[in-house]
Order: sequence, then structure tokens, then C-alpha cells
Amino acid sequence: MTAPAATAAPVLGTTKPARRPRLRELSSQVGWGVLAWVVGLAFFLPVLWMVLTAFKPESAAETWPPQFTFTPTLAEFRLVFSGWGPYVTHSVVATVVSTLLVLLLGIPAAYALSVRPIKRWRDGLFFFISTKMLPIVAAIGPLYVIALKTHLLDSIWVLIILYTAMNLPLAVWMIRSFMLEVPGELLEAARLDGAGQIREISSVILPVISPGLVSTGLICVIFAWNELFLALNLTVTNAATLPMFLISSVPQEGLYIAHLSAAATVASIPVILVGWIAQRSLVRGLSMGAIK
Amino acid sequence: MAVLETGAASAPQVGIQPRAASRRDRWLRRLPLLPALIYVIVVTQIPFLVTLWYSFQNYFWNQPGGATFAGFSNYTTVFTSSAFRGALLRSVIMTAAAVIIAMILGVAFAVLLDRKFLGRGVVRTLIITPFLVMPAAAALVWAGPMLDPNFGLVNYLLQPFGVHHVAWLSTFPLISVIAVMIWQWTPFMTLIVLAGLQGQPPETLEAAKVDGAGALATFRELTLPHLRPYIELGILLGSIYLVNVFDQVRLMTNGGPGTATTNLPFYLYQQVNFAFDVGGAAAAGVVTVILTIIVATFALRMFARVFQFEGADA
Amino acid sequence: MATVNYVAASRVYAKDAPPAVDALNLDINDGEFMVLVGPSGSGKTTALRMLAGLEPLDGGRVEIEGRDVTWVPPKDRDIAMVFQNYALYPQKTVADNMGFALKMQGVHKEERLRRVREAARLLDLDDKLLDRKPRQLSGGQRQRVAMGRAIVREPKVFLMDEPLSNLDAKLRVQTRAQIAELQRRLGITTVYVTHDQVEAMTMGNRVAVLSQGQLQQCATPRELYDNPVNQFVAGFIGSPAMNLQTVPLTDGGVQVGGSTLPLPPAIRRAAADTGLKELVLGIRPEHMHLANGSGDLTGDVMLVEELGADALLHVRLAGESSQVVARAEGRKPPAPGQQVTFHVEPEDVFAFHPATGARLAG
Repeated sequence: MTAPAATAAPVLGTTKPARRPRLRELSSQVGWGVLAWVVGLAFFLPVLWMVLTAFKPESAAETWPPQFTFTPTLAEFRLVFSGWGPYVTHSVVATVVSTLLVLLLGIPAAYALSVRPIKRWRDGLFFFISTKMLPIVAAIGPLYVIALKTHLLDSIWVLIILYTAMNLPLAVWMIRSFMLEVPGELLEAARLDGAGQIREISSVILPVISPGLVSTGLICVIFAWNELFLALNLTVTNAATLPMFLISSVPQEGLYIAHLSAAATVASIPVILVGWIAQRSLVRGLSMGAIK
Repeated sequence: MAVLETGAASAPQVGIQPRAASRRDRWLRRLPLLPALIYVIVVTQIPFLVTLWYSFQNYFWNQPGGATFAGFSNYTTVFTSSAFRGALLRSVIMTAAAVIIAMILGVAFAVLLDRKFLGRGVVRTLIITPFLVMPAAAALVWAGPMLDPNFGLVNYLLQPFGVHHVAWLSTFPLISVIAVMIWQWTPFMTLIVLAGLQGQPPETLEAAKVDGAGALATFRELTLPHLRPYIELGILLGSIYLVNVFDQVRLMTNGGPGTATTNLPFYLYQQVNFAFDVGGAAAAGVVTVILTIIVATFALRMFARVFQFEGADA
Repeated sequence: MATVNYVAASRVYAKDAPPAVDALNLDINDGEFMVLVGPSGSGKTTALRMLAGLEPLDGGRVEIEGRDVTWVPPKDRDIAMVFQNYALYPQKTVADNMGFALKMQGVHKEERLRRVREAARLLDLDDKLLDRKPRQLSGGQRQRVAMGRAIVREPKVFLMDEPLSNLDAKLRVQTRAQIAELQRRLGITTVYVTHDQVEAMTMGNRVAVLSQGQLQQCATPRELYDNPVNQFVAGFIGSPAMNLQTVPLTDGGVQVGGSTLPLPPAIRRAAADTGLKELVLGIRPEHMHLANGSGDLTGDVMLVEELGADALLHVRLAGESSQVVARAEGRKPPAPGQQVTFHVEPEDVFAFHPATGARLAG
């Protein structure tokens, strides 16, 4: 009459995942991976070479053909660490303080452009991004003069002030994009519970977007740490930063390649690590929050 | 039968307008924005106003006396200066070449990274590292250990192709600098395009498979149109960053040989630091800013359009 | 003859995991409208995707028109699919969406446009819409474009993955009828997946009920309703669902609702043969007839759901903790709190094995 009764419970393990990908599929998958690895390594090669050369004694660094095997030494690193003291301090101070300032100014600004927007928030946003488009190089002369007249020349504060202005637009866009993701209901619930503006920001919004704030901070760190132009033109010794240290590691005469590589490696490692950690939010930061 | 009370809808009351936000409310909203806004205005606009003022002055560092009014003479100098026009041209060439090639590579790398394979995360990390290397460091490392004619790695690797001890920085300065710019900015393009690729709805790709589209056809007909706003954004933002590139020019070739690699930022740097001509440098700066504003207006309009793209895909 | 055959087709996602589709054997006739129905996780969508070539097989094979297509890529299977979320190409116009597959086949522009227009007419899609992009269309319009994209292909088999689930209720009922009529007109073999048993019953020539990757029963809607082969099918098909309850066996019947309900001899014999002390009793709500005091089952009305034409009574039978649903006349149903009795015809009673769920004496 009807089909025989089906059993109620499925029998485990009778059907093994007998994958039969055909040879062509398998080889194309492997081939793809190999190609990707080749490309990745080739692209990474200069960085690898830089780090490798940093461990070479100078005699082994400027040879033909270039040496891949040698007795590694930490001599150049030791030289770098003995010389970089003031430079790295200045870099750290300028970077950290400017980033904190950026967050301090940027969070309320982003708030006024997203959660409780002002009427002309679009204009506000575009003003910020327009400052990013204007070349700072064009004003370097007057900047020098202003810095001179205000006694800020060659002081760490001129860098802090300028780095904050440099990163603020980026941070405002980025933090705004994070704030827009806070669920509206959360904010409404807080308002019903009697939270004022400040409480709203500190108790509701900040905790929710804290990973976003971290990645914003990291992006600001990257740009401030790597900055050369302003440091070169507006500082000499009292506020010279790490990029300047790098330049000074290229002497007029003599062998310097290994030393340079060591200095370059040391200078770059912090940002490389930061970038590796913040990888996921790198896109959002670089696209000013446009891409998630 | 009871008569249904139809109750004609009362005519809408004319004269009711949406209630305007109170003055206090409006200022409360603006308050959080003010610190950042004022800060940026002061720090970025004042230098430009000063630049503008100086551009109309004769002011030389190495000469006694202060600034004297010069009218438009500085501007005439700028427009007739072949050095300025050369720097402008080189800026355009360097930026265009770097942006275009970096984007092409970026799309290729993004396609590579979009498929699953063993160690995909590691390869991705390798590919983005050049962007993270301090530009000053990258410039010096490429100038020395990589491109040196006598001990550089590049010459060594190109030997099988018949390349012998090429002095890259003196023979092909522009190409060398552009190459480093591309090396450092391809990861940026890759990440943006990759975000676009990963945002493609997989069902649409399956539908294409069922509809008979092969890999190439799917890429051409579906993926590229989908990527268009991402590519536009990458080109736009990349151009903004790349047009201001300074580190590599200063540290690899110092603008040379001669003026072979002098772009606008480097030209302005030279004017300020070595020509002692504050007025002239200011005028050049103002012209640069005006040119940038013109380009930026187009760019901003495009950015506004591109910025709306979230949710544009049905 | 576009027949479709699943021959012991299986799909497993991880080693030692229960199969998503477990050795499915299903034969679909040319021009038939076959519905795969089941709760989520039953494997119905996986089975459909196996037929489409979007999901590989880990065992068995799939045949179209008698040809083994297990390792044939989707584009060479001559099938067309309507996706649950429509999967329309966002940057292409409606016309380009519908004509895309033809473009891939190398069909000329004029011919493409002709076939697209024809399909649009068939689906009541206005010509004006042809130049719009998907995001400018309503949900119902998008659904029709998705169907149009499939129809234009004139394939051997239509595959549909819950195409109505994103439509609102009223539109769903309308479109349901349109799809069924369209399929009859075009005569193309169709495999249709849904979790909604009402859709399955109203649209399919035959319906295959799946649960946990296994085929429970494949038959006409009527057959499924009147002769479910096991407890799962009985409880899944029909709305409101069949009342199912485990009850102890006594002399001549089962103990339920405060009295002994007589069972047909066939069931009693089957139960005795298997040595059962209890079984799962199944009675459909419409088979519980209100009897004025002289019924087999007694209970108290807990809730009355008035549907207009009918009323659904939620009744707690005497001595039982759970409730049963009975269908009654809409005009003057009993009130909540009232005591009622029901009469059940012996031949309307279903009995199932308490452990395996198999039907006793079907």
C-alpha cells in the first residue's frame, strides 16, 4: 500500500565524506595557493632583505653577489639602540600625545556628526576631509615662521599640534562610522532611563565602540610615527623623531648598509606590529570609514 | 437599519508647521563639534592665510630688512617658472602612474586573496606589510640594499635576465621612485578591493554559475561592476595620499638627478629651505593649493557619490 | 524526457557527522511538479543544490534525463534555478538579468530581447520595468524577475528554493497559484523546495517529505494526507496538525480521555504481534465529531479559536495532561469551560509504533 516505514533515527557514519574532487579541481586549488604564496613572498622580499641585512656585519652587507648566508651579529642593533634614545622618546611622545588629543577632540565631534547630528553635518564632514586634501607642504614656509615666532620651533609641541591636526579628520570620519553602528534601540533605552548627553556617550556609546576607538588610535599612531616632512622641516635636535634618526644613519662616507638596515628595522617594527594586529580595521581607517 | 456614521474626515488644519528646534537645542548639538572644528580651522587655515599674505610680499631670509609688498610679481614668477611647471608635470605623472599600477596590482592581489587556500591569512599579512614600513625606511632600504648598482639585491635577481649592474637611481630615477610608491601603496588598494570582493553576495555568484557563466565571464559581468565604487574610492583616496608623497623623493634621489624626480612637495621644500625666497615659496604654495582645490572639488563630489554606495547594491 | 533521479545520493559535511542528505532515492517524472518539503535541517535545500551542481555528492549519483550528471558543472546540466533571495544581478537591468544566461550561451541580442519580452509577458511584468535595476523593484516584482530569468532559459528542469518565503502572506497565496499554473502551461519538470506544507499540498503533483536527511514518504498530497506512512509525515502534513498522543493499550482498544477508545482489529493485531504495551494514537482535528454526551472521549474546552467558517477547540481530555485540537462548526461552538464529548470513527484512527514511529497496520 504505502512505502515501507522509514526508520526514525539516522544512522551515523554510514556515509563517509568520500570526496572525489577530480584531479583538475585539486591541482587548480593547489596551484592557486602556490601562486598566492609566491606573490606574497616576492612582495615581502624587500622587508625580509632589510631585516636580514640588519643582522649582517658591515663587511658582509656590501658584497657582490649579495650574501644570503653569513654569521649574524647584533652589533648594528646595539649601535642603533645606543644612539636612538632621544629620537625614539620624541617619537613616542609626539605619537602618543597627539593620538590622545585626537581621540579627546574627535569623539565629541563624531558624536555631533552622527548620533545627535547638527543640522549641517554633511558640511562638517566635508570640511574635515577637505583639510586632508590640502597639501601641508604648501604652507611649510609660513609654518616655519609661525613656529619660530611662537618659540615652538624644534619643540615637541609643534609636532604634537600638527600631528593632531593631521589625524583629526581621519579620526572623526572613522569614529563616526563606528558610532553609526550603535543600535538605535540602545540609545533610546538609555534616554528613557534618563541618560543625558554626557552619560549617553560615556556609558553607552564608548563601551560599545571601544574596539573601534582602539583601531582608530592605531591608525593615528601609524601616521604620526611614520611622519617625516614636518619633523624634517620644523625640528633639528630637541624634537627630532625616529625618521630623522634614520636619515642620520646614512653618513657621508663609509659603510653603512647594515647599520641602516638595523635602524630601518627597529624604526619600522612598532608600526608593522600595530598594523598586523589592527589588520581587520586597517581598511576602515584608510577609507575614512567608508568601507567596513 | 442603523445609519452608519460616516464622520467626514475633518479638513487638515492649515498653518501647522514642523516645530523648529529650539535655539538652545541647536547650540547644544553644535557644542561637541566645536573643539575639534576650531582646532582644525586654527591649525590648518591660519598657516594658509599667512601663506597667502606672504605670497604678496618680497621676503628673503638671507637679505636684511623684512617683507615688502610685491603685488602679483611672485605669482608671475611661478607661472613663468619652468621649474614649477616641471614639478607639476612630474607630480601628475608620478601620481597617475603609481595609482593606476597599484590599483591593477591591487585588484589582482585581492582576487588571489579572495579564494581559500592554506595560509591565506599569512599571505595577506605579507602583502600588507610594505604599507606599514616607515616610508623613510622603505626609501632608504630601496635606495641602498635593494637598488644599489654594486651590491643591490635587485640587480642580483635580475642577472638571469641579462641585467648588469644597473644604476637604477641615476639611470631610471623616476621609475625607481614610482616603483617604491607602488610597492608601498598596492596593499592599500588590495585591502579596499578585497573588502569589495568579500561583500559580494555569494548567491549572485551561484546564480551566475547556474546561468552558465565561467570564471572570466562572472568576473567581467558581475564582479567588476560590483567593484566599481570600491575601485573609485581606492583611486580617489590613493591619489590624495600619493600626490603629497615626499619621503621617497627626498631620500632616494633628492629630487634628482637634476630635477628628474622633483614633484610639487619636493619643489616647495626646496624653495623654502634653499632658495630663501619665502614670498616665492608662498606663491608657489598658493598656486598648488588652488590647483588642489579644483581637483579636490571634483574628487569630493565623487566621494559624496561613492560614499553613498553602502546599500546601493540591491 | 526530462526525468530526474536521485540514486542513493548523499552529502555529509564533516566526518562522523550525521549526513545532511542520507542515501536519497527519488524518481521524478517528466513534466512533474515535485515538492521537497520538511522542517529546517531536513536536507531539502541540500538535495536541491545537489541537483543544481552547487553541492558535491559524497555518495550515490544524480541523473537528469537518464544521464549521470553527478560531476557535470551546473552550466552544462541545462537547469535553471530560482533562489530564495532571488540573487538578481544588482548592477544589471531587469532585461539584462533575464537575458544573462542567453548571453552566456552566445544568443544574439535581438533573439535575447524577444525571449525576455515573451517571458515578461508570461509573468505579467510590465515592459517599462525591463530597463530598471533590481533595487528599484518591489519584492513581488523581483520575485517575478527571478522566475523570468529561469523561464527564459527553457531548461530541462526548474529548480526553486523557497521562492515565496520572502513575500507577504497575501502575495504568497496569489503567486503560489500563478507558479503552479505556469508550470502546468510550460510542462517543464520542476523540483520545488519549501518548509510550508500548505504550499507543498496545493502545488505539487507529488510531495516528498524529508526529515533529517532522509526521505520519509513520497506520494500525492491526497495519499500523504490519508495514508501517512509514519508519525512524522502524519504530524507534519495537515493544518492544524494531527493530534498525537502516546496511550496505553487495553482490552479492545486504548485508554484515553477517561474511557476506552475502540481500535480496529487490524491495529490491535499489529500491536499484539509486535508485543506493544502502548502506542501513539493519531486523530485529525476534523475527525473528532462533537457528540452530545454519547461520545468516546470526554474533556473540557480550554480555548476556542474562531476562524469564521470553523472553530478550533483546544480541549483537555479527562485524565490527560496535554490538549487536543478539534474542529467544530463555526456558528455556535461550545464555550470555554464547557464539558464536551467526541465521537471518532474507527477507520479515522491512526496508530504508530512508539519507538520507530512506523504506522501500524497501514
